[in-house]
Amino acid sequence: MDALTIRNASAMPAPTWGWLRMNDTKIEIPVDLERIRAVTVEADEDLTETHASFEGAVADLQKRVDAARGDAEDTRACVRAAQRETESLDDLDTPALSAYQLRATRDEIANDVAAAFETGVHVDARSYLNFLAGSTVVLATESGDDEAAVVRVAGEAGGAAGASVDVVAAADSSIDLTISLDGNAAGSDAAGLIGSELRVFAGARARVSVTVYITADAGFTVIDDAGYVLDEGARVDVRHIVLGGGRTYTGLASDLRGDTARMEIGTRYLASGTEQRDFNYVIRHRGRKTISNMDANGVLTGTSKKVLRGTIDLIHGCKGSEGSERETVLLANQGVDNKTVPVILCDEDDVAGNHGATIGHVRPEQLFYLGCRGLSQEAAEALFVAAKLEDAALSAPDEQIRANVVRLGSALIDDFADFEEEIA
Amino acid sequence: MSTDALLSVADLTASVDEKTILHGVNLSVAAGETHVLMGPNGAGKSTMGHVIMGDPVYTVNEGSITFDGADITELSCDKRSRAGLFLSFQAPVEIPGVPLSSFLRASIAGRPGLEMKGKEFRRRVKELAAQLDMDTAYLNRELGVGFSGGEKKKVEMLQLLLLQPKLAILDETDSGLDVDALSVVSRGMDAYRASCDGSLIIITHNTRILEHLSVDRVHVMVGGRIVREDDASLIPWIDEHGFESFEREAAGSVADDER
Repeated sequence: MDALTIRNASAMPAPTWGWLRMNDTKIEIPVDLERIRAVTVEADEDLTETHASFEGAVADLQKRVDAARGDAEDTRACVRAAQRETESLDDLDTPALSAYQLRATRDEIANDVAAAFETGVHVDARSYLNFLAGSTVVLATESGDDEAAVVRVAGEAGGAAGASVDVVAAADSSIDLTISLDGNAAGSDAAGLIGSELRVFAGARARVSVTVYITADAGFTVIDDAGYVLDEGARVDVRHIVLGGGRTYTGLASDLRGDTARMEIGTRYLASGTEQRDFNYVIRHRGRKTISNMDANGVLTGTSKKVLRGTIDLIHGCKGSEGSERETVLLANQGVDNKTVPVILCDEDDVAGNHGATIGHVRPEQLFYLGCRGLSQEAAEALFVAAKLEDAALSAPDEQIRANVVRLGSALIDDFADFEEEIA
Repeated sequence: MSTDALLSVADLTASVDEKTILHGVNLSVAAGETHVLMGPNGAGKSTMGHVIMGDPVYTVNEGSITFDGADITELSCDKRSRAGLFLSFQAPVEIPGVPLSSFLRASIAGRPGLEMKGKEFRRRVKELAAQLDMDTAYLNRELGVGFSGGEKKKVEMLQLLLLQPKLAILDETDSGLDVDALSVVSRGMDAYRASCDGSLIIITHNTRILEHLSVDRVHVMVGGRIVREDDASLIPWIDEHGFESFEREAAGSVADDER
């Protein structure tokens, strides 16, 4: 396989200063990777034998969206500006729009669910992962179902493997999906790549829970790309547990289309050595009284790097909506590079957008305390890493994922496997 | 200074931000002995404990610290801990994100004779927690976060019993504790002495904690200087008279020195 670079990946919807180097990222696909089949899906036939499709569910939603569209003309200045063909000096009441405003307003006018669909890492990564996967697994619930499924991608050094999964949760159903992105280099220095492409349609009042564990060794590049569409009253809970991988790219975009839809995202990450973490979250509030919460908590050690972009977009019409994003990151070494970009875009009144970040180096008095118990700077860093891994192991969805966490922990920390014996 | 001292502090002068806190302090503690360092607030008692433990905030300007036959004056605090020194904090810090059990496991890692594998470690820590009337649920909580003052002190005692240092400095471990918590701390000190015959330096300005202890030597510190040393009979005297006379004497001698 030839060298491949995915540019403008995980781009923020509304970019900030270019010199900050955080508007988007570039994904270098390691050269000479062999495309391998390394995906297993554990799900009842009820889920996989279906005629439902993501596109079909979106088309059904579109019909209802179109039916609810009012006849009243939208006379807002931004709409006039987006619809006019040429600018005129005689019309000083119509503002000039930035490229971003023009695109956003046109999307708003079109109100096209399929056209507005997006994923966090964006379309090029989506295409690449779909190519690796070969085909898409569709997991569809019937109304009233309560289902669970596990998708495992087991990467190997020298190989590239990807899963492509569509989840279609019918109205009043629930589904619990676990995705394990594990790359075991088995002592090899060769690079590897694993990833998953996920599209989720959460029907009216559906409950969808998605947990992604990334436990790849340092030689792996990992791409976790997802896009969500939420119908009225749907609730989606996402947990991203990013523990390993030399370079990881986690992207999630969500369209809270239906009224009272709710999205909860909990991210736990760890980066050690020279690892790099890249996160891009885009939550579009379109329905009324929609709610989103993003809560990230991480530890950076060594000379690792992390960028987290979190955008809450409160779009015209989402009255009564609330979006919130928080991050707590512990910088256990002076050599780490940590960037966080919380963005709240707002074109509606009667909404609330909140963001907060707590970024802290380990304080000297904490280091002294740890020193008084025999922990050097290096041992203190290892303790922070171990604590994150132990927490992830304790809350792992199944034994196999827990074993992956312990394998990763044992590679990073001496005697980490003792922890497993302790809690067994 | 006794020749078989476990800890010898000789002519120690230490400062912080160019302000001298300790002035030529001498202290000698033999193996198995219990010493008490008393004095009014601001006398430099806690500084003494921190300097012995190697807190990088303080600069040692003169003098030396010898422990177990080795000069540790330049040693980092983690190495002093591994050499067998222990400091119990007056106000133990909180470390969010790190469960107490993970911290305890890290603190015994690599210590000869103390390393324990998984289940053995868990069993040992639970035994110690029971000994200190401590809810084992705390083991899974983040270190110090949301702990009451009493629970924090119990965690300090638990570490003392787990690590079994050769010499422990207890910095006002009794401060802010109710009667029940005080009794638990006293039990912890007794258990430590019984389990490994370790040495103790108890920093306090309250004599209650000393009632059940067999004290070998009492040192009174005022203004960064040891102004009086005696046997345990000094404790009831201080309980009755306080530190006022020592402070007067110290002020007089400092004035004489400056003249």
